[in-house]
Amino acid sequence: MPLHKLLPTPDADSKPFWEGCRDHKLRFQKCTACGEVRWPPSILCPRCHSQDTQWIESSGRGTIYTFVVYHQAFHPAFKEKLPYVVAVVQLEEGPMMITNIVGCPPESLECEMAVQVAWDDVSEEFSLPKFQPLLQP
Amino acid sequence: MLSEGICNYVVISYGHSGLWGGGMRQVLLHSTGDGTVFGHFGAVGRYALAARRGMHEFSSGPQTWKHIAMGQRKWANLNPAAIMYEKTMQEEDYFRAPWVVEPFRLFDNCQINDGGRAIIVTTAERARDLKQPPVLIMGLGMHNPSNEVGQAKYMAGPTGAKKAGEKAFQMAGIGLEDIDACQIYDCFTYTVEITMQDYGFFGYGQGEDWFKGGTIEPGGRMPVNTSGGQLSEAYFMGLTPISEAVMQLMGRCEDRQLGPKTSTKTPQIILCSDNGGALQSHACYIFRRW
Repeated sequence: MPLHKLLPTPDADSKPFWEGCRDHKLRFQKCTACGEVRWPPSILCPRCHSQDTQWIESSGRGTIYTFVVYHQAFHPAFKEKLPYVVAVVQLEEGPMMITNIVGCPPESLECEMAVQVAWDDVSEEFSLPKFQPLLQP
Repeated sequence: MLSEGICNYVVISYGHSGLWGGGMRQVLLHSTGDGTVFGHFGAVGRYALAARRGMHEFSSGPQTWKHIAMGQRKWANLNPAAIMYEKTMQEEDYFRAPWVVEPFRLFDNCQINDGGRAIIVTTAERARDLKQPPVLIMGLGMHNPSNEVGQAKYMAGPTGAKKAGEKAFQMAGIGLEDIDACQIYDCFTYTVEITMQDYGFFGYGQGEDWFKGGTIEPGGRMPVNTSGGQLSEAYFMGLTPISEAVMQLMGRCEDRQLGPKTSTKTPQIILCSDNGGALQSHACYIFRRW
């Protein structure tokens, strides 16, 4: 792995997802047979095995299912970010994904906290969907 | 294969230069796919996510895990082959150790080491005439919930341990009360807690009460990971627990031998567990003295 920045490696399944991210649109596959909204992208619905799929746009809102705080850098690219938070966020539409929680101190976090997507433009080509505490209207 | 006569003896072995050349680090760095762009790495990152959910759903946490880390260290202090043989651990050592991936501190993590282990499996009939006293496999069960940690809803249980344990006990025709000691796959302290909770050794969220007071230590009523386990002896995947269970039942454990030497019950039956992925696959084995 390169020592500077880690970037996503889109494949045939995940390419539409990362293209959506570039436009700050969080998109997931929805099975048109059973309605399951899934992550990670795949050719088959993990629930009913149908191949009939459409891409839907997520509200970008969800809750923290679980989270951890990294105090050690397992890759040089993260040395300056310590301590940082990795979380599993469950979106309103159902999918659960690995991401970061940003914009608040790690000690203020708890499971089930409401969050919303916060885009991190890491290159011309890639924006990462990270999350921050839900801003009250 | 053994019962059908396709083979006579099976060697199950594990060897890895996990420490030398950073072998284990390389294996784990590449295990989280595009999760790496978020700084999500390795087994510790995945199991820490599981452990945090356990803290949320029931009262898991460092107050339980310290008993597991310290209890196993006491066993390692009786085992000259253990990496941590000469290092004792007090409560302040556990809490003063640095965070790795919070909620895990250093001593919630297993060892990374070079080395290997092997066991030989054959039929009871063939084993009868061998040089060493054999140990019988009474029961085994497997269950694999399979979802990767990012999509898993079983991180706070029931994990694969629940169904795998039920199958193993059913095959063995015994109950929990017949188990004299346990060798539990312990990549992290939380793994020991959630596995034993799912097997039913204590009620949901009762781990702290069950582990405190030296339950699993030398002299305790339910010895666990009597070599020091992966936390304090060495990491050989599922062969750390299995080889220790077999050696204890053979009576080959010297200063840490279960029985009068360690003020514990002389074991007739020992339960073992093994895990794969981040709680994604589970195997339970029950062994009996010949």
